[in-house]
Amino acid sequence: MLIKLALKSLHDRKGSVILSIIAMTVSVFVLLGVEHVRHQTKQNFANTVSGVDLIVGARTSSLNLLLYSVFKIGSPSNNISWQSFKKVAENPQVKWAVPLSLGDSHKGYRVLGTTESYFLHYSYGKKHKLLFQQGQAFNNVFDVVLGYQIAVKLGYQLGDEILLAHGLGRTSFSMHADKPFTVVGILAPTGTPVDHTLHVSLQAIEAIHASGKNTYHASKPDKRSELKTDLPPQLSANYPSDSMPSSKSTLTPKSITAFMLGLNSKMSTFKIQREINNNRQEPLSAILPGVALSELWQIMGVLESTLFLVAILVFISASLGVSAMLLSAIKQRSREMYLLRVIGAPALFLFMLIELEALFITIISCALGVALLIASLFFAQTYLASYFSLQISLNIFSLNSLTLIMAMIAASALVATIPSVVSYLQSKRHYVVK
Amino acid sequence: MIIELAKLKFSYPEQADSLVLDIPSWSLPIGEHTLIHGSSGSGKSTLLNILNGLLSVNSGHIEVLGQRLNEMTSRQRDNFRANSIGYVFQQFNLIGYLNAIDNVQLANYFSKSSEKSSVTEEIKALLNSLNIPKKDWQQPVHKLSIGQQQRIAIARALINKPALLIADEPTSALDEENSADFMALLMSIVDSSQTTLLFVSHDISLSRYFTRVESLHDINQAGAVNAD
Ligand SMILES: Nc1ncnc2c1ncn2[C@@H]1O[C@H](COP(=O)(O)OP(=O)(O)OP(=O)(O)O)[C@@H](O)[C@H]1O
Ligand SMILES: [Mg+2]
Repeated sequence: MLIKLALKSLHDRKGSVILSIIAMTVSVFVLLGVEHVRHQTKQNFANTVSGVDLIVGARTSSLNLLLYSVFKIGSPSNNISWQSFKKVAENPQVKWAVPLSLGDSHKGYRVLGTTESYFLHYSYGKKHKLLFQQGQAFNNVFDVVLGYQIAVKLGYQLGDEILLAHGLGRTSFSMHADKPFTVVGILAPTGTPVDHTLHVSLQAIEAIHASGKNTYHASKPDKRSELKTDLPPQLSANYPSDSMPSSKSTLTPKSITAFMLGLNSKMSTFKIQREINNNRQEPLSAILPGVALSELWQIMGVLESTLFLVAILVFISASLGVSAMLLSAIKQRSREMYLLRVIGAPALFLFMLIELEALFITIISCALGVALLIASLFFAQTYLASYFSLQISLNIFSLNSLTLIMAMIAASALVATIPSVVSYLQSKRHYVVK
Repeated sequence: MIIELAKLKFSYPEQADSLVLDIPSWSLPIGEHTLIHGSSGSGKSTLLNILNGLLSVNSGHIEVLGQRLNEMTSRQRDNFRANSIGYVFQQFNLIGYLNAIDNVQLANYFSKSSEKSSVTEEIKALLNSLNIPKKDWQQPVHKLSIGQQQRIAIARALINKPALLIADEPTSALDEENSADFMALLMSIVDSSQTTLLFVSHDISLSRYFTRVESLHDINQAGAVNAD
């Protein structure tokens, strides 16, 4: 009966109740959203790269280098020369070196130019290697290996032909219908920016750029031409011998964006880092991904705490709004309260009635807020993934968020004690209302 | 005696020094249908709220249905009110957003008396005998006419079969015709259920329906003192 009465009385005051629910829903949305995104980014960032000892790029802040090389957020200030890469890669302390060349895109997704060794050495999470779900690494200039999400989102399969564009952005200025790339591999899901990246050879990047300058036709290799680089020996060793290029190609990269290093011994990390940072030919920066990640994490942490605090304040103000609404309703409902008392309702019943009304508003708002959050994550997912390489899962029900929902319900019940106590006291004084 | 008052004194806490009621002695026998009339502001509603236990007196003896109200806890008084007293007001007798059946059921919910299973049947029988058309039973009561609402209020007041029915000017919001219908229905239903009726009104023309008619001015000395 109590529940029925609470529901019907809320229904009777639809207007103000709906407004309160909207305010509450927005605040639940914000609070859960901030919590979810912060949980997700934490995982995202922490798991993105592992097993890489140093990342090297043009001189810049370590954060910037980390963001564009690993997260593919933003763009590099400068490229570095192929000579610098070769020089570092030839250092005997270096076990492996993987060049990275960024700056192109396909339908809003970043294209990464690299070598086949990328698939061998890049690892994420707890040292998971990249795995091929289908196909294999690129062998030819016009081969492309897709990240998992790209294949899913764009519906590509092995053997499909796609066009790559020079520059970033969904609508590209220079797409060339005459040079389609063939999908030769699709990676297994990783939950990292790799899922949203297209991988091609460095030569392919050169080819795209050459075509952009319209000088490509003269030296255009056969579509099936094999990859050819003057890679240092320890890199070339990674190529299957049958795919080793025999003829010299004109598509040698002059510059790359960054490269990743694996060292023979962790002990030498700082020494190599210092050597690279002091490189005299070209200003370079070498960073330790773990250190840069935790730096990034600290900045994010401050931002997140601030956001979380703001979200909590928004929620508190919404709860107060609900209580204010209930309080003013009590004044209008004094006749109803008196009537309930006359037919024998204990004062506690009136307290419970108001509490229950507040609880219903909160529970409905929580449900709506959750639905709204899932819906907007669903729509924002692609955008976040392709522009920020942030992978936000739709499953917002972590232990954290459930605790948060419980806390919200408890908090609003607590705030609602204000109007509830007022109605309790008012009915205790049992004044005849004129 | 269903009501016995002696040396009753009451003032509202806001105006503690001006007595609203000062009743040396008054009683009401079982089964009587009594009209107490008094002018507006003379303290009729105040007296009724004392009798149903919502207001506590400053001093004096007050016994309703053999229970000493000022010796009961407020919880006991809530139960007493739910079980033993039916109440009909001038208006706002019902919760507007509930339908007729829910309103009557709500009154039953607070009483421990009747078993809840058969109560819906009782409610329907009661609404029928009060001439509420079936199609209006499921309507929120604020959509019904005042006359209908007052009749549903009788059903609400009688569902727990109270020994005492208190009515506080239940006809003053009704026009003459509706008022006559209401009185006829009320009297026939309290007759058949043998309920004691205490009815207050400023309208002395209602006297013809009652077996006993009293003036609050005769009972209450506070008014007399104030008038001097
Ligand atoms: N809640 C209250 N607080 C303080 N004074 C009150 C309160 N209710 C009534 N009074 C005062 O007590 C006196 C009696 O009021 P009461 O409502 O009992 O009169 P009444 O005979 O029922 O009048 P009416 O015919 O207008 O209903 C009045 O002077 C009124 O102003
Ligand atoms: Mg009155």
